[in-house]
Amino acid sequence: MNLFRRIICRLLFCSLVVHSQCDPCLAEDENQSQLGQRFQEQILPLLQEHCLTCHDQDQPEADLDLSQFGKLADVHRAQLTWEIILERVAASEMPPRDAQPLSAQQREEFVDWIRDARAHEAQRNAGDPGDVLARRLSNAEFDNCIRDLTGVDLRPTRTFPVDPANAAGFDNTGESLTMSPALLKKYLDAARTVAEHMVLTPRGIEFSPHPVMTDTDRDKYCVKRIVEFYQQQPTNLADYFVAAWSFQNRDSPELTLDKIARAHDVSPKYLRTIVSTLELQYDLGPLAQLRSLWQELKAIPLGHATTDQVSILCQQMSDYVYAVRKEFETYFGNLEIEGVHAGSQPLVLWKNKQYAAHRLTADFARLETPFIDATQDKSQKPHIPANSISMQMWKSLADDTQRERFKAECRVFCSVFPDAFFISERGRDYLNKPRDEQEKGRLLSAGFHSMMGYFRDDQPLVDLILDEPGRSELDALWQELDFFTAAPLRQYQGFLWFERTDSRFMRDAQFDFARPEDKAALTEPLIQKLSQVYLEKATANGGSTVALAAIADYFKEINQHIRWVENSRQTAEPLQLEALLAFAERAHRRPMSAQAKEELRQFYRSRRDDDGLDHPAALQDLLVALLMSPQFCYRTDLLRDTAELRALDDYELASRLSFFIWSSLPDAELMACAAAGELRKPAVLKHQTLRMLADSRVRGLATEFAANWLDFRRFEEHNSVDRQRFTTFDDDLRAAMFEEPIRFFMDVAQRNTSVLDLIYGKHTFVNQVLASHYGIDGLHWSDAEWQRVSNADQFGRGGLLPMAVFLTKNAPGLRTSPVKRGYWVVKRLLGERIPPPPPNVPELPNDETQLELPLREALARHREHESCAGCHDRIDAYGLVFEGYGPIGERRTVDLAGRSVDTTATFPDGKQCNSLAELIDFIRRDREADFLSNFNRKLLSYALNRGLQLSDDSLLEAMKVGSLDGQPLFHELVEKIVTSPQFLNKRGRDTASDNRPLETAP
Amino acid sequence: MKSNPVASQPTRVSRRLLLQGAGVAMALPWLESIPVWGTELGSSQDVHLPKRFAVQFMACGVNQDHWWATGSGPDMKLGTSLQPLAPLKSKLNVISGLFNRSAVGVGIHPGQTGNILSGATLQRGAELRGGISVDQLLANRFGEETAQPSLVLGCEQPITGYHETNFSMAYSSHISWQNATSPVPMEVYPSLAFDSLFDNRGNRRNQSILDRIQEHAESLSRQVSGADKAKLDEYLTSVREVEKRIEHVREEQSAASERANGRGQALPTMQRPDNGLPEDIREHMRLMCDIVALAFQTDKTRVATLLLCRDISGLFYPFLDVRNAHHSASHNDLSDDFERITSYYVSQFAYLASRLEAMPEGDSTVLDNSCLLFINNMWSGSKHDSTKVPLLMCGGLGGTVATGRVLNYENKPDDQRKLCSFYLSLLQRMGQSDQSFGDADAPLHEI
Repeated sequence: MNLFRRIICRLLFCSLVVHSQCDPCLAEDENQSQLGQRFQEQILPLLQEHCLTCHDQDQPEADLDLSQFGKLADVHRAQLTWEIILERVAASEMPPRDAQPLSAQQREEFVDWIRDARAHEAQRNAGDPGDVLARRLSNAEFDNCIRDLTGVDLRPTRTFPVDPANAAGFDNTGESLTMSPALLKKYLDAARTVAEHMVLTPRGIEFSPHPVMTDTDRDKYCVKRIVEFYQQQPTNLADYFVAAWSFQNRDSPELTLDKIARAHDVSPKYLRTIVSTLELQYDLGPLAQLRSLWQELKAIPLGHATTDQVSILCQQMSDYVYAVRKEFETYFGNLEIEGVHAGSQPLVLWKNKQYAAHRLTADFARLETPFIDATQDKSQKPHIPANSISMQMWKSLADDTQRERFKAECRVFCSVFPDAFFISERGRDYLNKPRDEQEKGRLLSAGFHSMMGYFRDDQPLVDLILDEPGRSELDALWQELDFFTAAPLRQYQGFLWFERTDSRFMRDAQFDFARPEDKAALTEPLIQKLSQVYLEKATANGGSTVALAAIADYFKEINQHIRWVENSRQTAEPLQLEALLAFAERAHRRPMSAQAKEELRQFYRSRRDDDGLDHPAALQDLLVALLMSPQFCYRTDLLRDTAELRALDDYELASRLSFFIWSSLPDAELMACAAAGELRKPAVLKHQTLRMLADSRVRGLATEFAANWLDFRRFEEHNSVDRQRFTTFDDDLRAAMFEEPIRFFMDVAQRNTSVLDLIYGKHTFVNQVLASHYGIDGLHWSDAEWQRVSNADQFGRGGLLPMAVFLTKNAPGLRTSPVKRGYWVVKRLLGERIPPPPPNVPELPNDETQLELPLREALARHREHESCAGCHDRIDAYGLVFEGYGPIGERRTVDLAGRSVDTTATFPDGKQCNSLAELIDFIRRDREADFLSNFNRKLLSYALNRGLQLSDDSLLEAMKVGSLDGQPLFHELVEKIVTSPQFLNKRGRDTASDNRPLETAP
Repeated sequence: MKSNPVASQPTRVSRRLLLQGAGVAMALPWLESIPVWGTELGSSQDVHLPKRFAVQFMACGVNQDHWWATGSGPDMKLGTSLQPLAPLKSKLNVISGLFNRSAVGVGIHPGQTGNILSGATLQRGAELRGGISVDQLLANRFGEETAQPSLVLGCEQPITGYHETNFSMAYSSHISWQNATSPVPMEVYPSLAFDSLFDNRGNRRNQSILDRIQEHAESLSRQVSGADKAKLDEYLTSVREVEKRIEHVREEQSAASERANGRGQALPTMQRPDNGLPEDIREHMRLMCDIVALAFQTDKTRVATLLLCRDISGLFYPFLDVRNAHHSASHNDLSDDFERITSYYVSQFAYLASRLEAMPEGDSTVLDNSCLLFINNMWSGSKHDSTKVPLLMCGGLGGTVATGRVLNYENKPDDQRKLCSFYLSLLQRMGQSDQSFGDADAPLHEI
């Protein structure tokens, strides 16, 4: 009878008072009393006669004191102990030979009774959610939550101590996840670290991959994003020509230009422009030449053999455009005013603007007056050589009419092909050096002398290529740059400093009021005042109209920019606060009441008003408080807050699911389902579960469940390989070894294959490093860092067993260890309980070359001792099969001492295995059920955040039933777990915990 | 000697109260500093006196003709520019000939400056890359023990942008670096630097946060099961424990102030500086020096750097009768103008040293337990020469460094005159076990 029914029974009886004969609780009680009677009459005498001699209170053998079991209830409280008793007695290992033997009938009675008692207990509480402690997040969960909240993988727990694992091997239970003042201090530091990554934007908040506490860091963050945006844009002309060709030769009317553009990763808008431009019937300018190349290109039919030809031709077209476009580039000299430094802001900005405004225009000046003596020309204007493309075209023109037509065609050409789509770095152009000789790496720089300042020049990209969302995104990025770095304010302060020192222009007394140190200098009246005084002097120095206008514009614009920063920062404050409240809701995994939100606002306000913090600091403290709050760093969804057992509410279920499958908090979709009250509907629950398993965040399940189950979670810190001897073993190979089973497991989870693939799979996943370690050749390495190898068995790999990570981890350095490897298979995969070795076992040398006997013979000798044989018979054979793999999992035929390796293994029942394939066959025949049962138990224990109990038996039974050809599909196991009563409910705070978890029994 | 009993209700000065009405004179007790780390005012042997480290930076060289010292102890002779230090001769070391290899041959100015306290190679272009500076290494080591890990102050705004050598101008503005890629934000406003000495910046802020989360946890644990309650209690206890530690630091600070009060000493006071930047650079520098002195005396921090001017400085000195700005003046570095500038900067160093010297601490003074450095990025501003740098040291770091000496490394081979070796020596004398720092893996000889 399950727990609900019991509760219902109790409620009924309380209210009805009258007991009825058909009461199921009574039937249960009868059962119970029968078991109790059998215990007293049959079992107790057996214990006393056959067991207590050794297992009594005084120095009990194996720490097992059987005298403590005087009644049935005592047995129920020690389920694990009785499971072991059952195993050993059933296997006739107990009582030992030198004790009073049990008759066959006695043994049967004994075993039957334990089985009955266990079955009864399992049935009685089936589906019990069990004792699941609310607990802090594990380090991995903390990191994953921060990653999913901020969008940046900051891993703030890097400096935390490693979380201890529970008896099942997982670090996700309350018993092992404790809190201490020292750890809390680390939480505080971690929260501060996260806060130092918070970026304030005009619309809200975001997070940077590096701290953004200094101007230079903020510059780096904002500039990098803009430059990356530029680099991601499709500006490669050759790609457009290829797409145009595809479009021209499309074999299906379904293939629209938009679809083709998407397939080629180019802008549909610009592709349209290019396609129509290529078809223009021009005959004089560069477009004519381009068109003839286009005709040639068009003639190439679709088909594989022609792709190289196409790309060569498209590259030719692109090269042609770049080369000839350069010859029409507009040229601007410096503005000059007596006394004003050529690298000063107003003059440099004027020139930048001229270039930015003429990226789509054609300049014919150099064609029309080509005969200036270059040595006499002080403007350093670039000259076009006589044999250049445009010059040759120009010379071939017959008359002015043709020249005008040529110019018109060139203008079209230049308006379609800009001289640049964007400028992402700029040196000091005012020095008049050719562009390619100017300073490199000054990203988005305006190009002033020494002063900081950015300049945006990307109109062709915006006009020709970007769509509306792209434009908004780019605008927002540039706004964020000004907003977050206060670039205009700093630029103007630089101006004040420079003009007073290096440039000397503002050294006269009338400029003394404008000091960079003075914050008031940034105010509108003082900027206007300086503008006036500056212009007066510039006028007196004979500045031209253009130059004076440039100066006036400079002051006007810098003032506007500064005002914009100030105003928008003011306007953004409440938006940023609200964004942080929304963040809080996600972090706490529950909707927040209006009152709770108001409390947070209050906290923020109090930091500003009472502590005198500025807005960013107050926001940071609020963020720290949110991340320190138990609602974030504790699994509060697990709190038992009602008197009786109850169903999880939608939000609790969302958390439970996401921490199970992702080791992280619920995402927006899951929260939306919870908010709609849909999540508990079976169809929705199933859909969400499958969606989550397919998501890449299922990596959390791979690293926290699979890696802990298989004991390689900390392999990235594994340091017992002798790198002098194994020179191929480096950090990259170690990382790849760790990654292989992670990828393998994720594949099972994401593609929903049978969990038996873990053992029987003939495939695996490798990157280049691992492929070369495995000697897997014939793979093509392009972009994909990792790839699936379907025929890994041909290289001695495939499935978990021969993965280098396990072979390496279970080898002590300079030799292999059949014992450790065998133990790993038997314990981790097959779930056998093997007691620890006695303390007096002699150590084998850690180096194969130091062994007097081959390892297998040394082990065989070891097994001759009866006390050793008990365990080693169960272990060694499994490990010896792997002797064909060396200490770092490399395949080998001789060991380090030069002896041929022998992979023959004989199992206790006499069966022989001679290879990995035979071991796998042996498992398939004899141990498959053990593997599956172990897998299910581990997965369930992980999912429930607790050790298993007898009351989980019926769920485990249900999980055993494979649906498709008996194949246990991974999704079905997960589904059975997430729809089970133990997953969907939690105990009440008063539920008696008489149902102890198995794994923590004595 | 017995101390006064710790007041049970220490009168703590609310910072908010102090800030109300900016510009109004506000008094802060000029504490005698011992009680901060010892509850008993025993003899100096009983009390573990903290060691402090401060750097003053001047840029663009000195007037070399007047920067010299000979002899030792009271007989030390000082060049004109070093005259302000005459009263402190016995506590002074004049060190010449040290240099930073990675600041030589990389082009002038920023590349000679951003690594002056780290010895790191600097990267050109948009991305900053250097190394952690020695002051921040120290701040990381014992910053936990004080209200603030370090004070990073400047009297001239930092700038960015690109120098013609293609180094970022950020290297010219920052000598304190928290790691390879980020400078420490520098405080140029004396009022804000002063405020930061009240512990609201670090501990008080944390306390507000802990208060809040404690309330939260308490409200959560009200109606949950006993086992869950125990789990939350574990958390609450940790929160309270951390809070208690913070409170403890704050109480010790208050107790110190009480004790100083109780002894009826004439208490020096410092006014909270006005908001905004001082008009006069003299006032600016003096305030910053006072703040460092105050911080050291009250053990609010043990590490400070003060950028008196940045490299390529635009500071003006009308009061010295110099019309050129600092950087331009340095191009005529043998002039009388630049000698006056140099002397003026040295007088700031002398001022800070004498403030600390006037603060008794056990049997000695705060200066005796400190190491004050005065360093410049160039020997000659006109030649932009950084093959050796001007360096002064004041204070004996708790008797671990002999003072009153003139140390000349000019004729030593390059690997025996590394600035980083000097820093490494200081680190070791401050109780750190480092065996290398920057480009040095051995301490400096004869220190």
